[in-house]
Amino acid sequence: MLNRREFLHTSLLGSSLVALHGWGPGFLARTALAAPTADSPGAKDTILVVIQLTGGNDGLNTVVPFKDPLYAKYRPTLQLPTAQLKKVNDEIGLHPAMTGFADLLQDGALCIVQGVGYPNPSQSHFRSMDIWHAASTRESLTEGWLGKALHRLPQPGAFHVAMANEPNWLALQGAPFKVPALTSLEDFQLRTPAATGSDQRSQRQVLEAAAKRPADHPLLSFVQQTALNTYENTRRLREIGRNYQPKVPYPPTGLANRLRLVAQLIEANLGARIYYVSLDGFDTHASQANTHANLLAELSGAVTAFFKDMAARGHRDRVCIMTFSEFGRRVQENGSRGTDHGSAAPMFLIGGRVRAGLIGEHPSLEKLELGNLKHHTDFRQVYAAVLEKWLGIPSQGILDGQFTPLDVFRS
Amino acid sequence: MPTQQRIDRQWAWQPYLPDRDRPWNLQRVGHLYRRAAFAASWAELQQALHDGPKKTVDRLLTPGPDYESFHRSMEEVAALIAKGDNSIHLRAWWLARMCRTPFPLLEKMTLFWHNHFATSNAKVNHVGYMLQQNQTLRRFALGSFAEMLQAISKDPAMMIWLDTHLNKKGRPNENYARELMELFSLGIGNYTEQDIREAARAFTGWEIRDGKFHFNPAEHDDGEKTVFGRTGRWRGEDIVRMCLEHPACSRFLARKLFRYFVSETLDPEPDLLEPLAQRLRHSQYQVGEAVRMILTSNIFYSEHAYRARVKSPVEFAIGILRALEGQPNAVALANALENLGQRLFYPPSVKGWDGGPAWLNSTTLLARNNLAQALVSGEDPQFGSRCDPVLVLRKYGRQSEEQGLAFFLDLFLQGDLAPDARQRLAGYLRESEQFRWPAYWSDQDRREHRLRAVCYLVLTQPEFQLA
Repeated sequence: MLNRREFLHTSLLGSSLVALHGWGPGFLARTALAAPTADSPGAKDTILVVIQLTGGNDGLNTVVPFKDPLYAKYRPTLQLPTAQLKKVNDEIGLHPAMTGFADLLQDGALCIVQGVGYPNPSQSHFRSMDIWHAASTRESLTEGWLGKALHRLPQPGAFHVAMANEPNWLALQGAPFKVPALTSLEDFQLRTPAATGSDQRSQRQVLEAAAKRPADHPLLSFVQQTALNTYENTRRLREIGRNYQPKVPYPPTGLANRLRLVAQLIEANLGARIYYVSLDGFDTHASQANTHANLLAELSGAVTAFFKDMAARGHRDRVCIMTFSEFGRRVQENGSRGTDHGSAAPMFLIGGRVRAGLIGEHPSLEKLELGNLKHHTDFRQVYAAVLEKWLGIPSQGILDGQFTPLDVFRS
Repeated sequence: MPTQQRIDRQWAWQPYLPDRDRPWNLQRVGHLYRRAAFAASWAELQQALHDGPKKTVDRLLTPGPDYESFHRSMEEVAALIAKGDNSIHLRAWWLARMCRTPFPLLEKMTLFWHNHFATSNAKVNHVGYMLQQNQTLRRFALGSFAEMLQAISKDPAMMIWLDTHLNKKGRPNENYARELMELFSLGIGNYTEQDIREAARAFTGWEIRDGKFHFNPAEHDDGEKTVFGRTGRWRGEDIVRMCLEHPACSRFLARKLFRYFVSETLDPEPDLLEPLAQRLRHSQYQVGEAVRMILTSNIFYSEHAYRARVKSPVEFAIGILRALEGQPNAVALANALENLGQRLFYPPSVKGWDGGPAWLNSTTLLARNNLAQALVSGEDPQFGSRCDPVLVLRKYGRQSEEQGLAFFLDLFLQGDLAPDARQRLAGYLRESEQFRWPAYWSDQDRREHRLRAVCYLVLTQPEFQLA
């Protein structure tokens, strides 16, 4: 959420027309020239899709160390039957619901980073989510890592493809413009009570002029910028064809619908490099088994369809999907056939250029920290790789501290 | 505009007395009604202007003579809704209540508590329980927070939402204990992870039986627990009491009330909030007293508070309806509010809606404009003409178009709009006189269309998004 400092910051940046300048269909041609060096992978027109798993995904039942006898001991009712797991190797298997991810692994397009977290993990949903969003553990966090990254991209474009009730995430704050949140293209049209063409033009002029008027009031100026961005975006998105025909069928789920809209926006060639979507419901304190299986099936099915659709359109090597959650869950299941808040968990990266397979060991089930898995890889090492090796921008100044990029992309 | 300068704490909480520099005018009346109610009708604005601040705040804080019968009739409808188990009716019921109530501050506070004890029917999946929680929140809304915190801990919807009913001896579930401390009473940084684990044991054996809280001693862990450094065989009620006794509790609540009523842009120093926290402590958490202290204070009527909040979707929509004295289709309204980002009884998480600038993004701002269009154009298939600006102009005898525009500006923005923006609105009325309109329109059709359109244009001014 924005705070006062950010209003001032955004209002100092002046009109969002300036910020939006050049963010249009011609963007690709221009960036090719503007790209820093051809040899830094992803410096050109790579696309990052971030999928947030809200609520704290149970990593231990997502990427399962089935060989470890402690697994069965800690999960008396929630343990997954070994035979049904999608084996990654002799010790590790994916949750049985993740058939799509198993295919992607076969296809060399799934990277599983194990044991990811950060020091002194918070077990508050909101604090921990903020830490992941800001890439920092400082007390006061006001800007997000993707918001900051947008300042570094030659042409800053991003979309948050959201559910109707979804917050504006901290990860996207601090950008040179307000990242538009879209729920559907149908809803994204300005309706005026106009009876004729000139009536409509006249009303629209009054609206737009009101958004452009200089304001010395930071909150008012924030509203105006949002309005101005909105009117600009409705104009831009009006051009997009409504009839997107996917190359592969998408499952009938919410996440699949959102990713389908992402695919449509990518195809429309608007120049956005960052897309943000989320899937909620991972806070499984009770009766976890079915809920968790359904969520992982939704994730796996939607991502797989999206990636195959993108690949069929020639974007296999241009798209990278990254998943994260604010924390994993307690190793020992609780008394309600669920799990309480934990810490370290795996992350997934999906794309034609990721290093397929497992990266890092599964965290030890023996050496726990307050009953939680200990991380060995800082999430900001993954962010560093995504920023430097995929988006082609330096991570310093975006991440709070120096982090060596994790080797998650093929060179 | 909020300033960075240090605010004198003594001045801030002294009662506001109108004087030449800070007169009791339309702007201050409108400000009070946006915060303590859901905006005001023209008649209410005039009445308050006449009565002065003290009498107006008294009236806002007290159920009037009409309230009892209104409340009873709404509860009769509620009983039917509880049987029907359709959540859209529940949402519509509450919105209709906000729209019509003679005691809007009570609804405003109920909404505050809905966001504070944010419980979603997405998990509870029981309209009767959600309604029951809403009634509990209303019962204590301006009363004792201490009693409310005990009551809400045993509220069936809350117990399902945060898994209290599954918390068993030897197999504790931490969900409720954590949010009780983090979000309901203390705020992060005022307890340890160990406090949460121990407190969770105190809530074991709490169950729902026959739709009510039930204590099951067989499932209760009655061993010693150490919470906030105090050791005892604590039960859940003890933990709630210890949270209320914790020095962080009154400060946490004071900060939240300040944000709700005074400013979302000012991050107040602890020192500034201390008198308000003190009032809460000394009154055993009487919320009404704290709210009265805020609504009568200097800081509330100052530039630190004026337009320093973003209207929530509910405030935006109900504000238009109450100002225009409209009778909405509440089901349509409940559906529309979803696109504005506020689905009542379905907050996005236990933290509630973030509020403030987070309400606005491209999609939700567009949805606000489009809702304003649907409400005042008289042509929307869902809303029809049950909220007609032209009728209101007629009621208050505004004849000319200039008078009409001036009336809308006073009603919605209390005349506080920059001259150039005002001129553009007048410009639309002038220009549109020359447009070619459909041939079958009468003079009156044309005139009324343009008045409704200019009302819409007032409602889409950025200033109208601010509370």
